[in-house]
Amino acid sequence: MRAWRRFEDFHQQVFEARWGRARTREARTQQDTLRALLLTETLGVDNPVAYETLDLIPYMVADLHEWHQRMGRDDFGGPGGCC
Amino acid sequence: MPAAAVLLGTLALFALGYRFYSVYLAKRVYALEPSFVTPAHAYNDGVDFVPTNKHIVLAHHFISVAGAAPIVGPAIAVFWGWGPALLWVVLGTVFAAGAHDFGSIAVSVRHKGRSIGTLAGDVISRRARVLFLLIIFFLVTMVNAVFAIVVAGLLEQHPEAVLPTAVSLPLAVAVGQLVYRRRSAALLPSLVALVALYACIPLGQALPLTLDPVAQATGISTTVMWILILFLYAYIASRLPVWMLLQPRDYINQHQMVVALVVIAVGVLVGMNTIAAPLLREDVPADSPSIFPLLFVTIACGAVSGFHSLVASGTTSKQIEKETDSRYVGYMAALGEGSLALASILACTAGVMLFSGNQGLEWSGLYATWADAGADPQGMFVDGVAGFAGNIGVPEGTAQVFGALIIVSFAVTTLDTAVRLKRYILQEMSLLAADRFEAGSTANRAFRGFSRNLNITTLVAVALPFGLAMVPGDFALGTLWVLFGTTNQLTAGLALAVIAVWVAKRRRNPVMIVIPLVFLLFMTVWALIDQLIGFIDTESALDTFLLAPLDTIILLLALWMIVESFIALRSAFKGTADPIDPSAETDQIAVESSTVVGSRKETPEAGAGGSAGQDGPAEEK
Repeated sequence: MRAWRRFEDFHQQVFEARWGRARTREARTQQDTLRALLLTETLGVDNPVAYETLDLIPYMVADLHEWHQRMGRDDFGGPGGCC
Repeated sequence: MPAAAVLLGTLALFALGYRFYSVYLAKRVYALEPSFVTPAHAYNDGVDFVPTNKHIVLAHHFISVAGAAPIVGPAIAVFWGWGPALLWVVLGTVFAAGAHDFGSIAVSVRHKGRSIGTLAGDVISRRARVLFLLIIFFLVTMVNAVFAIVVAGLLEQHPEAVLPTAVSLPLAVAVGQLVYRRRSAALLPSLVALVALYACIPLGQALPLTLDPVAQATGISTTVMWILILFLYAYIASRLPVWMLLQPRDYINQHQMVVALVVIAVGVLVGMNTIAAPLLREDVPADSPSIFPLLFVTIACGAVSGFHSLVASGTTSKQIEKETDSRYVGYMAALGEGSLALASILACTAGVMLFSGNQGLEWSGLYATWADAGADPQGMFVDGVAGFAGNIGVPEGTAQVFGALIIVSFAVTTLDTAVRLKRYILQEMSLLAADRFEAGSTANRAFRGFSRNLNITTLVAVALPFGLAMVPGDFALGTLWVLFGTTNQLTAGLALAVIAVWVAKRRRNPVMIVIPLVFLLFMTVWALIDQLIGFIDTESALDTFLLAPLDTIILLLALWMIVESFIALRSAFKGTADPIDPSAETDQIAVESSTVVGSRKETPEAGAGGSAGQDGPAEEK
């Protein structure tokens, strides 16, 4: 039974390393796209639906720092900026 | 010669390679350090960059690189006898593939986990980035063409395998969704999926599905019909998100591969059968191509494969926990690929004669001519697996479908992946082309528009290999397989060139990387010239006007690579090369002893000859 558990654990880790992370990556890409759309005005691009999406911004700022670093910007200043 | 003795002897040689040669590479050539901060730690983001246990990374890496190619190549190459094929698999795996796969991970780990294409631009020259894109473009075009032919041939010959293949699609989606939504352990659904898939084999035998009636009604041959269906599938599948179909399919395939390797190994050891093929074939027909250089491009995957460098630098290097784990992951995965090639050699030289349909025949009758060898290598493997599976009591018909299902599953997944990859390359190349024109100009807009239109780029990605698959007319693999092998070896050559330049710039002796690099490029160029002469010196207009220009383009890419590699290596040896990526090793250099940096400054001329064998780490300059 212990051997089975160890095998199951190993299998699960391989699954997460190869397939699980790919799924997480896909989810993150979709989140990044949404975040970029919501923050277009801070990037200098007009957002015609900014009024409608304003409520969503608090939900997206939690990991703003990780996001702008991932997008290749070491700092992210301006109104509502990060660092 | 007993097949079991060859199996155990080869595995022993692989073990020696790992025990001694990989240690030499790790210490003297790549100079791995357990204290180096790997990209997995430096950029840990929980998704791409994650420090992972080395056994898990090995399993991940191996299942990413293993596929149908190491099975098909050796199945053709045993035409010259099992000895040369096995010798190239052993030497190639131990001295070329091991160094290549291991080195690709090591270089990438030292450069922020960057991919080999980016590294080619950084380490060799900016032109090498374009060269890389072109080589990969031709590689994936060939991959799609040859695997479409392989799968079409198998589904036509084994209509019993059609139903299990069709069932595997919804089964994969269901398993993927189940594991995702239930968030449960993946093992049980995996086993249930495997059992369900194999339960469909008897159903498939009871209900063989063939396209013959449709083919007769339309006047199109069955093979062409299957190829059309496969490319239609590839078009649709490559437009779906990867997590929906491609990855769950891939996931089930890997379990199939493990089952197949176990069945073959146990079948060989239990049966104690003798290899029926000659060690070195003496009755090779006079009009056959020469073993030199064709053997070395016919077996690409299984001896050394450039595709591995894409995986090694694309994902594996981002998960390496300690730099010293690169040896275990890279070298062992190369040995695993060599073991697949070994299984194929044994299946096609020993197992194939156990198959009832071949009993009473001479082995040389199955491989009478080069055209025969290239006509149905996948069928030979399937019959061989059926023969070995018979040793452990699996009914022959069932084992045949089992063998066919493995190759079809892998090849169809490869079709999907390769079409996606080609679409990305087309998009990147059209953006590069757009940058050549003034912003806002018609040409600029046209190239950018092409890059953005996924339907058109996917259509082009599918149309090119479809046309190529149709060209030979007889759907024999031989010619296209050799061209595929040359592009694969060129990719390996480019990765080895990157590794050799990196090693030379670190003031290590790169000779053990340069030797396989020169050997591969020499054999590839020789094979391309050989093929080109054959294409021109023929009455076939298709050979002359389509395959000959294609061969010429690949030959020019090979010559371009030789020039780039030579220039980059010369610069590296002279010590005049620019820093590869100063930031990549900045942290590490700070940790390293300043005396090492100081000694470099004192002896700027000490190139490969001066400090080639030094043990301490060196700064890249």
